[in-house]
Amino acid sequence: MASRLFYGSKAIVWDEYLTGPFGLIAQYSLLKEHEVEKMFTLKGSRLPAADVKNIIFFVRPRLELMDIIAENVLSEDRRGPARDFHILFVPRRSLLCEQRLKDLGVLGSFIHREEYSLDLIPFDGDLLSMESEGAFKECYLESDQTSLYHAAKGLMTLQALYGTIPQIFGKGECARQVANMMIRMKREFTGSQNSIFPVFDNLLLLDRNVDLLTPLATQLTYEGLIDEIYGIQNSYVKLPPEKFAPKKQGDGGKDLPTEAKKLQLNSAEELYAEIRDKNFNAVGSVLSKKAKVISAAFEERHNAKTVGEIKQFVSQLPHMQAARGSLANHTSIAELIKDVTTSEDFFDKLTVEQEFMSGIDTDKVNSYVEECIAQKHPLIKVLRLVCLQSVCNSGLKQKVLDYYKREILQTYGYEHILTLHNLEKAGLLKPQLGGRNNYPTIRKTLRLWMDDVNEQNPTDISYVYSGYAPLSVRLAQLLSRPGWRSIEEVLRILPGPHFEERQPLPTGLQKKRQPGENRITLIFFLGGVTFAEIAALRFLSQLEDGGTEYVIATTKLMNGASWIESLMEKPF
Amino acid sequence: MNTGQTCRRVCSGLAWMAGLEGGDTGHGWTGSGGNSLLLPSGSSQAASFGKCFLDRFPPDSFVRMCQDLRVLNAVRDYHIGIPLTYSQYKQLTIQVLLDRLVLRRLYPLAIQICEYLRLPEVQGVSRILAHWACYKVQQKDVSDEDVARAINQKLGDTPGVSYSDIAARAYGCGRTELAIKLLEYEPRSGEQVPLLLKMKRSKLALSKAIESGDTDLVFTVLLHLKNELNRGDFFMTLRNQPMALSLYRQFCKYQELETLKDLYNQDDNHQELGSFHIRASYAAEERIEGRVAALQTAADAFYKAKNEFAAKATEDQMRLLRLQRRLEDELGGRFLDLSLHDTVTTLILGGHNKRAEQLARDFRIPDKRLWWLKLTALADLEDWEELEKFSKSKKSPIGYLPFVEICMKQHNKYEAKKYTSRVGPEQKVKALLLVGDVAQAADVAIEHRNEAELSLVLSHCTGATDGATADKIQRARAQAQKKMEGLEEEPLETLPTEQW
Repeated sequence: MASRLFYGSKAIVWDEYLTGPFGLIAQYSLLKEHEVEKMFTLKGSRLPAADVKNIIFFVRPRLELMDIIAENVLSEDRRGPARDFHILFVPRRSLLCEQRLKDLGVLGSFIHREEYSLDLIPFDGDLLSMESEGAFKECYLESDQTSLYHAAKGLMTLQALYGTIPQIFGKGECARQVANMMIRMKREFTGSQNSIFPVFDNLLLLDRNVDLLTPLATQLTYEGLIDEIYGIQNSYVKLPPEKFAPKKQGDGGKDLPTEAKKLQLNSAEELYAEIRDKNFNAVGSVLSKKAKVISAAFEERHNAKTVGEIKQFVSQLPHMQAARGSLANHTSIAELIKDVTTSEDFFDKLTVEQEFMSGIDTDKVNSYVEECIAQKHPLIKVLRLVCLQSVCNSGLKQKVLDYYKREILQTYGYEHILTLHNLEKAGLLKPQLGGRNNYPTIRKTLRLWMDDVNEQNPTDISYVYSGYAPLSVRLAQLLSRPGWRSIEEVLRILPGPHFEERQPLPTGLQKKRQPGENRITLIFFLGGVTFAEIAALRFLSQLEDGGTEYVIATTKLMNGASWIESLMEKPF
Repeated sequence: MNTGQTCRRVCSGLAWMAGLEGGDTGHGWTGSGGNSLLLPSGSSQAASFGKCFLDRFPPDSFVRMCQDLRVLNAVRDYHIGIPLTYSQYKQLTIQVLLDRLVLRRLYPLAIQICEYLRLPEVQGVSRILAHWACYKVQQKDVSDEDVARAINQKLGDTPGVSYSDIAARAYGCGRTELAIKLLEYEPRSGEQVPLLLKMKRSKLALSKAIESGDTDLVFTVLLHLKNELNRGDFFMTLRNQPMALSLYRQFCKYQELETLKDLYNQDDNHQELGSFHIRASYAAEERIEGRVAALQTAADAFYKAKNEFAAKATEDQMRLLRLQRRLEDELGGRFLDLSLHDTVTTLILGGHNKRAEQLARDFRIPDKRLWWLKLTALADLEDWEELEKFSKSKKSPIGYLPFVEICMKQHNKYEAKKYTSRVGPEQKVKALLLVGDVAQAADVAIEHRNEAELSLVLSHCTGATDGATADKIQRARAQAQKKMEGLEEEPLETLPTEQW
């Protein structure tokens, strides 16, 4: 941990955005062991008082943050005893920011200026994310490739640890750029020959704008729905507390908890690992089966007669109790979700989404969307639906588009015209050009709509959206078998170039695959990925004759709502 | 130790080294001294012989001693003339000895020693080659072209050699062109760029920075360029570098808004200019006139951008702003910055129905949405009388189910029931269930012979009260089943159809 660098007591001043991701790699207790006595969030004017020797700023390299830091440092200098200031840039030191600090006259105050190259944060055994919220907007709206550069750096670090990846595939403009940067960076490291046996066989770089459709649809896996309804932040979710109140008799519900219940969700929890990627409709049966198993296990105690048997039973108790707690939590969550999914509005919305995705009536004004606007449903919901319709029709007819836009501006306010412009720039909302709708071709060739979905025992990735097979994942699936050559036509319709690069390996490191051994593909989503897509990839990894296992990396874990929100602009 | 092998290696090494001295003949090196330099002395031969008679003698110290002696022999040679004793040599360390050789420009020997002792490349060969290259760039009589080529030939991609260090040296000697040529061989753009900036080759630095993809580097060069060039030249430079231009725009968005406007103007980017003025209308101006003026500029820009829709919407907004100001003056309360929809709603809530109507007409609010709006507002007011009057004003474009729903939302079953009879057949069951009339809902569903509706009603049948109804449905179902088997009628509907 970097805080080990500096001797003596210290206070850390956090760029607020970093606290979430850092929570995943270092707990407060660990920091305390390194004499971290105080933690603040970075704010203007002066720092709160703290009797420490060192003050460490943990920040992203952003100019506006430098201004705040300078303000902090200057007011601290006036206050009295000299402190040692340090600054840690995450993920990279920036000349621009240091220049700014110099201009503000505080650069000299920092004893250490270091970087903490946290590019890819591990979220699970098979999942890495940069948690860079603005990545999509920066790449596709502002042509700012900073996050692509960080992605490339992150991939170089991965290769340094897990060996050079012999084959790189990609689709999309950003993917091309990242691949170019990687090849360039590799040249910069010539000489330091990587002698690690490669873990990954392939890297697949995918632009989010190759598949704008998937995140717009409502995810229907368990984890996806938790995210859609409550929002998962850095693998934590905050839930309404009522359902989690401990049931005690005679309490009379006096002290119901008022604070949101915070739960961590990852595959370390056995039960969650089992149900997270299932279609929500298949979760109930698993939960009730588990309940039976656990209560049977507790019943075992009556059979324990001898001291030895009792001892054995007791030794299993902690594990059983943990399982029971976990089951109780997820039963409560499932109930909460069920309340939403059984509501009429959820059903209506889903029906419309599915109509759009299967290509029904995408070219005219949809009455449900109209009604949502008239009733002032949340704007994000409306935008998501309108964008979905636009994407499923390769753009809307000018008349339809203008009608929607006018309705939105009149109802939600003129200021949203900036948001609409952003959505148009990102290609989410657009007029149909040349009167041609390519979506049906894409849908049929890639089999994006599957009529026979088995939600309980899925046979195809389309189960994650109860019918719609995520385009991005289909591309990955087709790449591994039979290869992209079979879908050249569709690839040409989708935006951006598709390409293949080879990184030659020394003969000693070339892999000789055992028969039946799976290939491992690292798939990197540039611009974000949804939990449903992750679920679909995990499903492919687990297929017995699939032949490919996936490790997933992304710039941001997201869903349709957080995605649209990142593109919204509020001028006041 | 195989002397023959060592000798051969040395010889070939020397032959190679001959090239290092460039213009020099170098023959003197290989000829007289070369072969004898590293020959083992007599004593070590004796030791080598004696070693064979010792049991379990660890060979390390013997090997090390041989190596040291050979190095010492080499430097003691009269061509070199460093008569070190063994202990002097040990005190000095090999690194210092190498430094001395380098200072005397005895590069080939230094490299030979490094290779012979198998020193790691970064500390050994690479370091010496770098020194050699730095010396080489000082040879003023050789052309830039030749020096650069010679250095690259010798150094190639040797790890640990920094071309930028060598280039910096060349620049230090006033050979800027050579430095630039050398920098071409530098693979790390992070090293190229600062030196190029120092040499005032900012434009080259910019393209190198862009090539690297490192946006921080690009920014650094950009800010440098901004100070160095006049505004016109700076903008022209940006224009040829789209990536730099978009980064600089980002910078301006947060730091220099006025410059951003100039950039858009230069590119005739009217669409973005329009958005720019919209933002300005919200950010800077407090007075309504100022805001309207900013919006007018935005609208003009949108017309130039051929974005008819945005232009019209902006003009509508100007109209709305003026109107809201008037409403505030005349009626009091807050209207500014409400959406059109909310403005009309506020008017209805305030009892200004006439004005609301007028506004809706002026801005052509579609009928359907207007009905929703009025319905919601009147229900909020709990003005049931007015609501009923409204419902009868003409045929509802949104059907009558919303009336039932909104009354129930306000827990007014009595009012809700007034509308159930007018709900269209497709939604009738839903409406009846909403007001709790399960029995009638069942009758309608049976009449419709709609399986989905039947099960919906059935799911609403609770306990004893609806027992009879439930039975009725089951009977109807059984009947339908029989018929189906006989007739194979068209399939029953399972999805709710459109609402109107």
